Amino acid sequence: MSSTKAAKGRDAKTPAEHVPHPLLPFLQSQSQNTLTRLYQRPSACLSIFRLLGPLERQLVMNLLWLESAIPSLTMAAWVTPEGKILYDSSLLVLSRLHIVTNLLNPATKQSPKLNLNTTFKTSFRQAITGGGTSGSFGVPAAKDDKHPSSGVEALDAFAVERWETILHYMVSSGTGQVLAKPSAGVLYLLQRSRLMATSHGSALQITSAGFQFLLHSPHDQLWQLLLQYLHMAEERQMDLVEVLSFLFMLSTMDLGRVRNCNVEYSAESLSDTQKAMLEDLRDYGLIWQRKASSRRFSPTRLSTTLTSSLPPLPTSASTGTGTQDQGFIVLETNYRLYAYTDNPLQTAVLNLFAALKYRFQNLVVGAVTRDSVRKALANGITADQIISYLAAHAHPQMRKNNPLIPVTVQDQIRLWELERNRLKSEEGYLYTAFASQADYEYVLNYAKQLGVVVWESPAKRCFFGSLEGHANIRGFIERRTGGGGGG
Amino acid sequence: MKAIKGILLTCDSAVKQILLTMNEKESFIIEDLDDFHLVIKADEEYRVRRELETELEKNTYSLEG
Repeated sequence: MSSTKAAKGRDAKTPAEHVPHPLLPFLQSQSQNTLTRLYQRPSACLSIFRLLGPLERQLVMNLLWLESAIPSLTMAAWVTPEGKILYDSSLLVLSRLHIVTNLLNPATKQSPKLNLNTTFKTSFRQAITGGGTSGSFGVPAAKDDKHPSSGVEALDAFAVERWETILHYMVSSGTGQVLAKPSAGVLYLLQRSRLMATSHGSALQITSAGFQFLLHSPHDQLWQLLLQYLHMAEERQMDLVEVLSFLFMLSTMDLGRVRNCNVEYSAESLSDTQKAMLEDLRDYGLIWQRKASSRRFSPTRLSTTLTSSLPPLPTSASTGTGTQDQGFIVLETNYRLYAYTDNPLQTAVLNLFAALKYRFQNLVVGAVTRDSVRKALANGITADQIISYLAAHAHPQMRKNNPLIPVTVQDQIRLWELERNRLKSEEGYLYTAFASQADYEYVLNYAKQLGVVVWESPAKRCFFGSLEGHANIRGFIERRTGGGGGG
Repeated sequence: MKAIKGILLTCDSAVKQILLTMNEKESFIIEDLDDFHLVIKADEEYRVRRELETELEKNTYSLEG
């Protein structure tokens, strides 16, 4: 879904096709108590607001500066008939997040009234207008002349290195190459999210979910891992509110230098849970620290873009990921593929489904072949994922084409997928040699009621039943013949 | 009445013909049901799938090959 979203471009996103952020369902599943505690932090309110859809944001803004609740009829009067469904669903999202409260007063039989959650309202107003001393946006560390903090480039390089180490480790786990290993915490996270798995005590191997993961956009990958981290946080008895608010705090922090002043944040004001998180997040490349015991930290671009639409990895050409945002793949109708990249990770990902032939300084040439696609399919990657990856990373030159990906190639990749499913099999029992037509129909009827008939042929007087139905059918026949013999 | 344990294969008629030829070499088909269905011995499925795969590959033109 994410890649089709990227293919359409950010501007083309209308509210109707807005895909809810993956974190929102997780937040919706939390209790009102948890959420209200979270809303005490202005930074959390601002971050969640940024994750909402356009219409939801508009509703929040409309309600934000009202002192009292307004009748929902007044609000609904602004909505055109076509927008009704959209409006209702947005309102539902907001009330599930306990941001909007729908006050219903059955005694007076008045129409329900809409209001913002008071905690959310107070904190969000504070986030917008400033003020308050909660330190929820992080506490800047005092200037340290002895150790000048690192600039944006160093932070970016660190984030990219950490992040690509993780992805590169995943992509090459099957090839037997020896690579820098991510830390044990990261490996555990990958294993828990079932992106990698061990089989029979061997080394970690990438799973089919992992292969699919590699084709997602960095923003989605990051959140997929963080969501898993949140689930684990619950098991580790970490306070979810602390964990979430720390992530949100990071997402609103400043990156690197601001107005010629190095920005570092103090770790002193963090809670114990959050201090424990520093180490984990350092491993993911979200946070930079001069050394592990350092009392200050700097967020990297990965964390400051968590809740924004900016690309999470730097776009400077020097790091090799510069082409990430614009796309770098040219695919021709003759299945040839030219990828303008010098990034080993992107090359490795392409190698998942394309046969690479030549490699130059800034260009990789290959072809989408039957064998290469079959290899990808065998790994659990679907044809649609390959196509959407190609579309999401298409070179600007390709964008002139309509359709973006040559139809011949698209269709052929889908055909190759279908080709793999020429044979379907189902284990079970063949019931045959019935004494009479009546006998056959009687047993068949019973099997049909159980819903276990896979194939039947009245002409041949036999049918095939699935494995799970056998015990019942055998019992049924035995009861009948046994009863018949006795009577 | 009898019940025979086996695996029901659903395939297109081309694949079925290949399976019938394979059966002549080493028998594994229990019952030939109709144009698209066969019942085979339960423990032969893996071998049959593998051999079918090789057989189908012979009919594919490959650039590299």
